[in-house]
Amino acid sequence: MIKTDVIIIGGGATGCGIARDLALRGIPHCLIEKGDFAAGATGACHGLLHSGSRYAVTDPIAARECYEENLILRRIGRKCVEQTGGLFVRLPGDSKRFRELFLRSCEEVGIPTEVISSTRAIELVPNLNPEIEDAIKVPDCSIDPFRLCLLNIRTSQLRGGIIFTRHKVTEIIKSHGRCTGIKAVDQATGEVREIHANIIVNATGAWANMIASLAGSEVPMTLVKGSLVITNHRLTNMVINRLRQPSDGDIIVPNEAVCLAGTTALAIDNPDQLLTESSEVDTIISEAGKMIPHFNNTRIIRAFSGVRPLLKSKKADSHEISRGFQIINHENGMYSIAGGKLTTFRLMAEKMVDTIMASFNLKKSCETAEIPLDGQEELSGYPLSKRLADMKNIVCECELVTRQEVERIIRQTGTRNVGDIQHRTRLGMGPCQGGFCTFRALGIMNDMSVISPQQSMEMLRGFLQRRYRGIRPALWGDQLREEQLVEYIYLGILAMEKPE
Amino acid sequence: MKYEHCIRCTICVENCPVFRVNPEFPGPKQAGPDAQRFRSDREKADDEWVLLCSQCKRCEMACPCGVEPAEIILKAQQRYGLEHSHTPAHLLFANNYYLSALGSLTVPIANMIASAEIGKKAFRAMGISTYIPFPKFRFRTMRKEKKILNKRTRKVAFFYGCFINFYRPDIGRKIIRLLSALNVDVVLPPQWCCGLPALGNGNLALAKYFAQKNASSLSNYIDAGYDIVYTCTSCGLCLLHDYPGILEIPQGKKIAENCYDVHEYIIKLIHEEYAKPVFKETRRRIAYHIPCHLRALNIGYPAAKLMSLIPGLECEILDDTCCGLSGSYGFKKSNESTAIQLGNRAVSLIRKTKANDIVADCGSCRMQLGGLSGLPALDPAEILCESLGITDQK
Amino acid sequence: MSVIEYDVVIIGAGVAGLTAGALLADRGFKVALVTTGEPTACLSTGCVDVCSRDHKPLSGINDLPPEHPYHLVPEKITRDALNNFQTAMMDMGIPYAGTAEENRFILSALGTLKTSCLVPLTMKTAPQDDKDSIHIVTFKGLKDFYPGYIISRRKNTKFSVYDAGVYSTMGIASHFEEKEFFEKFIIWLGKLNIDEDKIAFPAVIGMESAAEIVNTIAILMGKPVFEIPTIPPSMPGRRLFNALKGYFRKKGGMIYWSWPVEGTEKAGRLIEAVATHSAGRPNSINARAFILATGSFVGGGLTATREAIIENVFNLPVHTDGPRETWFDNDYFSLNHGIGRAGIIADLSLRPVDSPWENIFVCGGILANTEILKNGCGHGLALATAHVAAQSCAEYLSNEI
Repeated sequence: MIKTDVIIIGGGATGCGIARDLALRGIPHCLIEKGDFAAGATGACHGLLHSGSRYAVTDPIAARECYEENLILRRIGRKCVEQTGGLFVRLPGDSKRFRELFLRSCEEVGIPTEVISSTRAIELVPNLNPEIEDAIKVPDCSIDPFRLCLLNIRTSQLRGGIIFTRHKVTEIIKSHGRCTGIKAVDQATGEVREIHANIIVNATGAWANMIASLAGSEVPMTLVKGSLVITNHRLTNMVINRLRQPSDGDIIVPNEAVCLAGTTALAIDNPDQLLTESSEVDTIISEAGKMIPHFNNTRIIRAFSGVRPLLKSKKADSHEISRGFQIINHENGMYSIAGGKLTTFRLMAEKMVDTIMASFNLKKSCETAEIPLDGQEELSGYPLSKRLADMKNIVCECELVTRQEVERIIRQTGTRNVGDIQHRTRLGMGPCQGGFCTFRALGIMNDMSVISPQQSMEMLRGFLQRRYRGIRPALWGDQLREEQLVEYIYLGILAMEKPE
Repeated sequence: MKYEHCIRCTICVENCPVFRVNPEFPGPKQAGPDAQRFRSDREKADDEWVLLCSQCKRCEMACPCGVEPAEIILKAQQRYGLEHSHTPAHLLFANNYYLSALGSLTVPIANMIASAEIGKKAFRAMGISTYIPFPKFRFRTMRKEKKILNKRTRKVAFFYGCFINFYRPDIGRKIIRLLSALNVDVVLPPQWCCGLPALGNGNLALAKYFAQKNASSLSNYIDAGYDIVYTCTSCGLCLLHDYPGILEIPQGKKIAENCYDVHEYIIKLIHEEYAKPVFKETRRRIAYHIPCHLRALNIGYPAAKLMSLIPGLECEILDDTCCGLSGSYGFKKSNESTAIQLGNRAVSLIRKTKANDIVADCGSCRMQLGGLSGLPALDPAEILCESLGITDQK
Repeated sequence: MSVIEYDVVIIGAGVAGLTAGALLADRGFKVALVTTGEPTACLSTGCVDVCSRDHKPLSGINDLPPEHPYHLVPEKITRDALNNFQTAMMDMGIPYAGTAEENRFILSALGTLKTSCLVPLTMKTAPQDDKDSIHIVTFKGLKDFYPGYIISRRKNTKFSVYDAGVYSTMGIASHFEEKEFFEKFIIWLGKLNIDEDKIAFPAVIGMESAAEIVNTIAILMGKPVFEIPTIPPSMPGRRLFNALKGYFRKKGGMIYWSWPVEGTEKAGRLIEAVATHSAGRPNSINARAFILATGSFVGGGLTATREAIIENVFNLPVHTDGPRETWFDNDYFSLNHGIGRAGIIADLSLRPVDSPWENIFVCGGILANTEILKNGCGHGLALATAHVAAQSCAEYLSNEI
């Protein structure tokens, strides 16, 4: 039985941000996550660090928050935030009046913008639709969301934070009507852990209501599915947005060596049952294709869906629901923090921890905006091209992941799960989606004797099945050809047995 | 964006001769479509290992998806060459045309220096390998040859290339007489180095310079009704592939449409019944080593077809290995080990055929295979001329 | 523009194409083979799977669903095709073990037993159950092979590592062809204390001389020696391809590399020529008959757009189960994916049905309803259908004269 001051349920950006803040303010804490980090909306988003301009027209307060956080994250995350810049492109037929409104709103909020000609825009992003009228340059950035979570958690680990991933919370322990702890099941072994704390923070995003109900509370939410597609390579080096009222498919974000495009918006009930429809994929490609024509013919390597955890609202169009966040005090020792977006995670965490500090009657103030993120020295950083300097000993050739990196992650995290290696190194995130490198990564784990024969086969099967879910909606053209080859390798050459 | 089509099948890697023997080179897949996802026009090139690619094009011939890795790597090599200083070896070979011109003017001295120990030491100090002897310069280059114009219906402008010009003008003369014997007029248009040595040594600007001059000259002849004929398969690949391609020569397409390999041209003449050569018996047992660039020309193996018409000639075709020299590639010290290993493998396969002579269309291949095996290395045109009784003397 | 003429042009350099080509060339026809690149066979284990669903492959074939293209091949021809293959490969220096009467196992790189029918001699002594103890000799830095997988499944396995100085499958295989390297290796190997029943290597011990090398080592060590196929780049696949290529050339066939067919010339119900784009000058080859052996998706014979599946050369009608949603099941391991049934349906003469062309024949992976992974019938089907296609083509050409 573990005793600590604060339990954080949820290892997304918010949860990890809270862990970091608590660590810097010296508060003992324990974070529980049912999957790996960024398993929910954090891991299923564009990876876009907004300049805020996107909300300037409809929600100036949210826009201001975003912009300030954008500046902070650029400062504290020098090596993990890619300062790509962004363009809002106006296509023929897009309203000039909206452009004026957009510019005015950004100015009022204080977000720097620059109107540039179509010629200049095409110079910056050669793949842009040659028909664009003009564009507005904004300071958008991109980040790998897994990496963001891991760097935040690093601070917690360095200062004694206790972290349990792949542990599912099954019970919230109450005593005299107060939440005093949780029980969580280790998904690998079935072992039950009991952890007691003074405060429980429910930072589970789309599952907030489910978790809250374990304590007899509720968090009214609207769950809105959004899908994204990933391209084979960077079609743009800057974030591309459509200069119009927010709608489906109007963002393209360069992230590492790929682009993410999306998104869609469909209300759903169950965050654990997500299916990416081919109609969504078609819509995204079509809309993205209006901004970057090559999108219509490019190779899509993966398509996936995430759930936006939005606070319940009366508005019908979920694009309009405020992205603002809320801290709910359930008056029983548990708080829920819900809503928000990736860009403002740090601010959300700050407000949450401010609340916790107040309830403990402690005065230490937040330093997360000043201190650079820990662990950045291990990153290869940007620009991407400097990773080409050394091509030796590479296990994942698509994403340039070396054997040393893989071994280091295995040793450091003690992981038995190839998915964990994937999140931490991008192994298997490239065009072949782990076709070759998973065999190698598991082979290395076998060599290092960290898994048993039973585990090895199950892991491979489990990996292939999970991976398939993200690939299936993107299977045509080159990616279908790729997939047939990978299937041929595993089922033909390696003669993997069918699961019973 | 052809690299989108790469399905990572590794067939290109299986075919790459450099990857097989040099662990420093990551192979065409990693150097091409994999690395391209990380390259950016806005950032400095950090990929020095791209220079290890010999541009043999075997990866492109093997790729089932149309990725063209060699082209991606070629562009990366040019980028690297633009952003980093060139080694003395690179500078020397890029400007081979000028240096060879100087060499042929000062013939006995130039050859003495090149073959003397002091010359070899100097070369090695500059990063140039000396494991096979340098070809000897000739004084009487092709420039000094006369054209043959008898107002026949078929006329060609002969693009002879630097190797023939500076080292083996005797073969060039044989080819002129061969074409003339087939009733074809031959002129020698003003010409310069095709540009491939410059391209292969990271000097895109110099390559474009040569290419533009050649294109203008040849273009005039094409307009005047001449077909262009080349004999060196690397010159041919440069004219047909790189002029309209990476060198962006405006007349590139026209040049490509009107250039023929000399053997391809002769077959055309035979097929059109314009020429009816009578090949006499020639008893030789030859191993025909197919130059990598001939494979890359997509014209099949026309010289093999012609030689199959020669009675008594036993010819075994070997097209599975690269000789390793790859133009000036093997002459650089950093590639010496690669070139020797590949050359030895090619030679061992040749020895298995028990042939007495090696035949190859490319001067580079001949130098390498002849030098490493000690066997005579001939141009297919020499075999054809022997069979038709044509010599280079009057 | 020069016109090149042949009796038949084979499109596709895989097992099916090279086999059909060799048969026709052997009969005296002028045969050319054109291909975009090298075939899927280069990536394979080199083994000929005939039908893995039954211990007796020919019985397994009989039990296949009626629409399976194996039913277009009389059993005698399937037997002939397999015999013919073994003879040809023996001739080319890479002998194959096995018989059409029963399947056998090879050991996969995951340590599972893979069912096949004809296997390269270098894999003949692979264990047929989990009883044999094995000593694996692998090579330092070889990142495409991990003895750990096999050790974790077979208790009685140990391994040793040799530093070959190069770390790729091709690099090591090439080194084994060098006398000095091999001698040094043998000396090192001889010093190992091996108690196990058999010795295994990842399939990198030599190129054209692999069978000899395996034999030499077996005699030296006094134990059976076998190879384990690796993931691509696969040496046994390459050996198979080189042998088929060499055999085709030996019979007089001509190969045009990097020759993707980009257009065709037609007259009435006949295809007259195939054309490719080549360095400025249009390039075409005339023939009286054409054999389409372009393979499935990996081979490049079929392409899937979001709307449809297309046959890339002649635009023949492609059989599909339904629209894009039906191509793949939700379960990765279902082996019932609709996409496995996509392809060209052929009649008994292996001409495509519902097509206007008289002089096209189809064989190999491009046929519909093959479900190669489910039925374990890749190269075997290619050989069998190649024989029928060649026969039909030969009859057609003889009648045409």
